[in-house]
Amino acid sequence: MDLNEKELIANLKSEASREQAFQLLVKTYQQRLYWHIRKIVLNHDDTDDILQNVFIKVWKNIEGFREDSSLFTWLFRIATNESLSHLQKQRRHSVVSINEINDYLSESIESDVYFDGDDIQKKFQLAILQLPNKQRIVFNMKYFDEMKYEEISEVLKTSVGALKASYHFAVKKIEEFLKEDSK
Amino acid sequence: MKEKNVNIENLFGSLKKENPFRVPENYFETFADRLTIRIKEEERTNNHRRRFIYFRPIMAIAAILVLAMLLIYVPSTKLLPSGSGNIAQNGSENSIDDSVNGIQGSLISNFSEEQLLAAFSALSDMDSKTLSSDNLADYITANYSSYEILADN
Repeated sequence: MDLNEKELIANLKSEASREQAFQLLVKTYQQRLYWHIRKIVLNHDDTDDILQNVFIKVWKNIEGFREDSSLFTWLFRIATNESLSHLQKQRRHSVVSINEINDYLSESIESDVYFDGDDIQKKFQLAILQLPNKQRIVFNMKYFDEMKYEEISEVLKTSVGALKASYHFAVKKIEEFLKEDSK
Repeated sequence: MKEKNVNIENLFGSLKKENPFRVPENYFETFADRLTIRIKEEERTNNHRRRFIYFRPIMAIAAILVLAMLLIYVPSTKLLPSGSGNIAQNGSENSIDDSVNGIQGSLISNFSEEQLLAAFSALSDMDSKTLSSDNLADYITANYSSYEILADN
């Protein structure tokens, strides 16, 4: 944890400087968190809701933040958990099976007005969607966000070995999907 | 087949870091303001909820008291003879309104079915929300003499 982060946390915990510090926190992390959530839930409106929920949770719970992990790790953990519980809720309310939720997410990509990718990128995103949720998150964090295994391990509270295995299987599955698709 | 694999690997590699998603215009510029508005709204709702939680025990005690009073009052008017009921009421509460209500209550208990039906049909053009035992008692005391009431029973 660097000095700036320590100072930011101290300001967030102090009632006098909380609002200003919170604005700074939002400005600093909003984009990284947005893209992390967006890659999990895909849809912009859902991402916007979840991102707001994440920051509201931070606002409400900052006094209880124990500082045994970095602020960034804590934020990413909240964002990941919120995104996963959003997918679970969606599954409970509207769709029944994993295949159906994957179909729903695939449709989200197909119909998303905020998706600019070409056909290859669409295929790539659809291939990533075939992965189980947690494997998809590991893949996104490693591949797109280029996070270190140690950082991912802190966020997801999973061992580095398990993450390496997970990423390896994810890459294999994506390659297979793309191979099948190009046949 | 081998060539195809190479192509896929190339394709996989070439996609690195490219983000096919985008956001609405000015989304990140306005996000903090929208978030602040939502937090303020949530805090206002929470304050209302907190206030309600604070008053909840008082409201519960009030409800129990009302219920207890009803449990004492209703059997005393229904089960005790009408005269003693009035005495009990007049003895405990000396206001004129209450004694009038007591008289009306005892009158209603003396009415025959026909009298009550006639009173109901006469009052049916009234708004059903305003129809109460008081209206009924008023109607009967205005349209029947005590003799008629007692003679029908």
